[in-house]
Amino acid sequence: MKIKRRAIRADVPSMAMGDIAFNLLIFFVILARAQDDSHLQWTPAEALNIESAGHSVASVLIDSDEKLYLNGQPIGESSLEMKINELLGDFPPGDRTVLLKVHREVTALRFEPVIEAISNAGGELVHIVEEDRDG
Amino acid sequence: MKIRRRSSNLLIEPPSSATGDIAFNLIVFFLVCASVQPDSGRHQTLPRSEETEKKEEKDKNIEVVVKRQVALVNGDVVPAADFSARMAALLAGKPRPEDKVVIVKSDDDVPYHFWMMVTSQIEDAGGIITLQIEEEREVQVP
Repeated sequence: MKIKRRAIRADVPSMAMGDIAFNLLIFFVILARAQDDSHLQWTPAEALNIESAGHSVASVLIDSDEKLYLNGQPIGESSLEMKINELLGDFPPGDRTVLLKVHREVTALRFEPVIEAISNAGGELVHIVEEDRDG
Repeated sequence: MKIRRRSSNLLIEPPSSATGDIAFNLIVFFLVCASVQPDSGRHQTLPRSEETEKKEEKDKNIEVVVKRQVALVNGDVVPAADFSARMAALLAGKPRPEDKVVIVKSDDDVPYHFWMMVTSQIEDAGGIITLQIEEEREVQVP
């Protein structure tokens, strides 16, 4: 007597696709968060006549604890110029925008050397501020 | 003759296979909402730092000293309300870009929001900002 082999279909359950997509998204969101500086605490200063910053190569931030960050990563003042230089590479003028986000109460002792470093690296500085509605 | 309405006790459940897609779309929606960060500001063009300075040129330029709560223009205290007008008046008779250079020197304790207010008013008046930063040098005395 011949016993027939049973054919079992091994399909990937399509029900799980949504969950896989969900977990992948969470993974990439966490990765992206490590690159940007949206998690850092700072309050922008106000100014008049502000305009869109456009595309930027680097973002330098001094938070409310006066700590310095480049693209969301902590960095020392001494190595800032070199790192910005590396990021800017041979980009032509107009594509060398560096965003500077400084907490409003940070003092000149801290932010002036940062401005100097960006300027020396050949960055086109854009101070990220809020529109002064009181004038 | 009475016709009885048929009461159905069947529960109509949404298809559970769609929950993943709903979650996906919700995440995309909230990501788009959350990624709107302030990206507007003020462009500022600053010359690269030079260690040597030309004394005679420096004397011709306007000098602004920024203190914690007040700004001095060529040594005179100028109230915040008059600062814009004073800068505009000083820069009005200077057509050449090299004469529009304004040397800005700040005290260590000047907060960023006040510094930003002063420098943006200088730029709005047509001035070209140059920062004067004192370097710290350690000198060993034998």
